[in-house]
Amino acid sequence: MSRKRKRKSKHDKEGPITVELNLMPFIDVFSLMTTFLLFSAVFIQIGILEVQVPFLSNAAPPADDKPSRIISVKTDLTKDSIEILTEWSEAPKDPQSYKFNHNDAGIQEMHKKLVEIRMANPDTDKLTFFVDDEIKYEEMTKVLDSIKLLDEADPDMRLPAGKDDDGEEETTHQTRYLYKKVIMGSVLL
Amino acid sequence: MASVDSNSNEALSLNIMPLLDIFSILILFLLMSFSTDPISHDVNPALELPDSRTIRSLDEIPSLVVTKNDVFVNDKKVSSIINGDIQERDRSQGAIYPLYEALTKLAEANKRITENKKDASTLTLEMDKDHDFKLLKRIMLSAQQAKFIAFKLMAAKSSRAATDE
Repeated sequence: MSRKRKRKSKHDKEGPITVELNLMPFIDVFSLMTTFLLFSAVFIQIGILEVQVPFLSNAAPPADDKPSRIISVKTDLTKDSIEILTEWSEAPKDPQSYKFNHNDAGIQEMHKKLVEIRMANPDTDKLTFFVDDEIKYEEMTKVLDSIKLLDEADPDMRLPAGKDDDGEEETTHQTRYLYKKVIMGSVLL
Repeated sequence: MASVDSNSNEALSLNIMPLLDIFSILILFLLMSFSTDPISHDVNPALELPDSRTIRSLDEIPSLVVTKNDVFVNDKKVSSIINGDIQERDRSQGAIYPLYEALTKLAEANKRITENKKDASTLTLEMDKDHDFKLLKRIMLSAQQAKFIAFKLMAAKSSRAATDE
């Protein structure tokens, strides 16, 4: 008791004690973390767009229960226009053609039409893409984006369940692809 | 102007709170932009990638790089580009002969190291956005003859891109 009293009286004499937090180790950790993160930072996110080229194979076609009458969807990109062509493999073939201007508005209209076609034919996820020689790679990528990917504004597509390219089960509501398999039709000898 | 009087015994303390604030914000930003992609690859400075909304991230280092002036296979130059097209002596039946040779060797090496046929026949391509499709067609034809049938075209993910699957 007497000690406590003594201490209290000492404090009263010297005034309140100022406690200072030593922030230096904290700043050291922050500096190291900032350096590490700056070095490992990736400022450009790189993605990939998967395409295929047509090829001839001697292998027998896989035996599956797919219908024999299927729709073929083609897109032809030229300097002035984008054209969608559809045709059934068996009679009635019912060939259809839809032409759009080659500009941003035209690409959007083409995308909307492709969404319509895909919704009407959910079993077909393959599209053949023809591109003119003088088209810039950047332009081709822009159109390819619209062909392959769904927009946020697009309606939810109830596609049939199946396996994706990696053999993993894909459910109806997970897909964000419009036409997942794009064949570069112009790449033929 | 603030000055320190050498005669006075006052302790001068630096206010480090704004510095801590800056550090915190910087770390927060860097942590949020920290890449979780499986592959970290620096784009070749001699080319510019096209933009894309693609949802798939790069999963392997590109074997084939097409800059504004050259074509490389695994960092080895195989051909030159003059006026936006492959130099004439390298062209063959619409394709690029030196590229075909280099890709044939690559395809054989791929077959030896991977059992997955799909991986062995897939080529990742990094190409400048200003090239014509004619050049891409030549490259794809060369690759097709070397038994590459699938391509992963590298693109810079735009801000509208969704996250990976």
